[in-house]
Amino acid sequence: MSSEDRPTEDGSPYGGRESIVESDTRLAETAHDSRPLSFGLRLAVWYSTLFVAGSIAIVFLTYFLTAESLAQRDRQIIQAKLGEYGAAYQRGGFGALAETVRAEQRAAPERLFVRVVDRGAEAIVLSQPEGWDPAALQTGSLRLGDGTLVQVGKSTEAREDLLARFRAVLGVVTLSIVVIALSGGLLVTRSALQPIRRLTDAVRRIIRTGRTDSRVPLTGGPGDDDAISELTTLFNAMLDKIEGLVTAMRGALDNVSHDLRTPLTRLRASAEMALAASPDVDRYREALADCVEESDRVLVMLNTLMDISEAESGTMELRREPVRLGDIVARAVDLYRDVAEARNVALAASVLEDVVVTADRPRLEQVAANLIDNAVKYTPPGGRVDVDVRRAGDRAILSVRDSGAGIPAAELPRIWDRLFRGDASRTERGLGLGLSLVKAVVEAHGGTVDVVSELGRGSTFTITLPV
Amino acid sequence: MRVLLVEDDETIAEFVARGLREAGFAVDSAADGEAGLAAALSQPYDVAVLDVMLPKRDGLSLIDELRRRGIATPVLILSARRSVDDRVRGLQAGGDDYLTKPFAFAELLARVQALVRRATRAPEPTTLTVDDLVLDLLSRRVTRGDVSIDLRPREFALLEYLMRNPGRVVSKTMILSHVWEYSFDPQTNIVDVLVSRLREKIDRRFEKKLLHTVRGVGYVLRG
Repeated sequence: MSSEDRPTEDGSPYGGRESIVESDTRLAETAHDSRPLSFGLRLAVWYSTLFVAGSIAIVFLTYFLTAESLAQRDRQIIQAKLGEYGAAYQRGGFGALAETVRAEQRAAPERLFVRVVDRGAEAIVLSQPEGWDPAALQTGSLRLGDGTLVQVGKSTEAREDLLARFRAVLGVVTLSIVVIALSGGLLVTRSALQPIRRLTDAVRRIIRTGRTDSRVPLTGGPGDDDAISELTTLFNAMLDKIEGLVTAMRGALDNVSHDLRTPLTRLRASAEMALAASPDVDRYREALADCVEESDRVLVMLNTLMDISEAESGTMELRREPVRLGDIVARAVDLYRDVAEARNVALAASVLEDVVVTADRPRLEQVAANLIDNAVKYTPPGGRVDVDVRRAGDRAILSVRDSGAGIPAAELPRIWDRLFRGDASRTERGLGLGLSLVKAVVEAHGGTVDVVSELGRGSTFTITLPV
Repeated sequence: MRVLLVEDDETIAEFVARGLREAGFAVDSAADGEAGLAAALSQPYDVAVLDVMLPKRDGLSLIDELRRRGIATPVLILSARRSVDDRVRGLQAGGDDYLTKPFAFAELLARVQALVRRATRAPEPTTLTVDDLVLDLLSRRVTRGDVSIDLRPREFALLEYLMRNPGRVVSKTMILSHVWEYSFDPQTNIVDVLVSRLREKIDRRFEKKLLHTVRGVGYVLRG
């Protein structure tokens, strides 16, 4: 397969990534236009609709109760009058009734409509205030003992006037309630949605600029509990993680491109020198062997760098299983036995208490091998390297102690750095990645690394792993 | 022995085909998945070497199609991915194998031969012989001419591996995985040390040297 043939599939991650970012931005913008605003509006509308409906119900109820009680009062007045007129009729017949009505009409400012209908169905109007519309009358009637019907009507005009004014007042009140409810609802939801809008803005800004270092500010006092602060915190935490990943990836890429240049330059130089020199099979063979070795080194370095950045960024695939740390150490010591012997370094393992850890076996084997590799490499002939496994509480401890030259205090903090090589190690073969890988893999397993060193006496590397 | 090679990169295809021909295989090449499938269906092959990423039809689907049609040719898959995905890894359960790019040709050859061996089920020998060097697998004794040679277990394992691949270059990575069963590359050259110990025992006192270093590639035991 060749990457030139299918650049979009695996060749150029940049083109693909940019287009993804673009489409994400579009997505976010359209979402912004339709969603958060309309959500706020919808909330406000719902809120004010409920509020207005409630208020209107109360207004209507008030109005009908008032109207009803006014009508009730009129009915009572009419009934009272009817009783009065009935009594007068009983006392002195029609004359007394007419007299009573007339007397009332003189005295009372409120005129009533009074009509008497006798058995012959002849109606006699006793009182008919001028300009009254007989249709706008509330009436009541009383049939007397001899069959005569007394009818009393009361104009509803005054009542209607009152109710009309009441209606007007209620209308104004209702209108103001609607206005207050709508604007209040809008205001309240707007302020309630403010943190969400801030969050949305931050997200959109990040998507647009690609800057993962911006954060959404946490607002509000201690009383400001709530789901939104939690969401903001979580969102920021997610950004932290993304930023960490991006930084790690960028760092790895920088390292790779920087550190591959040197071996690639050597590779190129070997080939170029062979081509420039006079044709000679042996020289060619040498140059080709150099090229192969150099490209193997490039490959190992590339793989190790990838491993380190995967472990550091938390994307390394760990196939965890129960592993006896003693076995791992025994195998690693066995791997280096001949090398230690060839260098006249005594290499011994002592497993005080075997511990089972949950770990990725090949990765852990690599950790142990790298530590022993390092120790054997920097221990002069006649020295010794001791590997211990023990348990301390809920931690498994693996330590590698050498009797080498020790590490200067100034270099100690940097030995775990990628491609750091101390002065003493310049002459030794190696990539300067072994300890970085140890640290990255151990930390990916939730463990710790530590080193204690004394110049001239040796160093002790200790890793701990959770049991 | 016929090998079907399906690889779309011309340089790699030529490199692999030439190497396999030099090792005595008859090689047919195809540059895409469909052509590969047509070839595999048209005649029987002892082994197939397939790239995963192929135009028209990818390597894994090609294997699926072959198996569906009842063709059990063992397959060596070439993958450019560093982290081999589970489907490819799963091939090992089915008797097939995989190799990640970039690879040493010696390793590809060894794997192809292992696939052929497994498929033909050649009887297991009890002694291995290269020139006057004899390794008895049952008694675990090694002799060269009349001289008995005392080997440590790792040295024995290395010699056995080299003698099972006489005249064939084996890489350091292959030795590391066969002798120690480690799959990573230690920084110190452990293999060099073991090879020189073995050389000390089987070659130093003898006129004819059997164990040779091929710089940049590996080691070879040649009679």
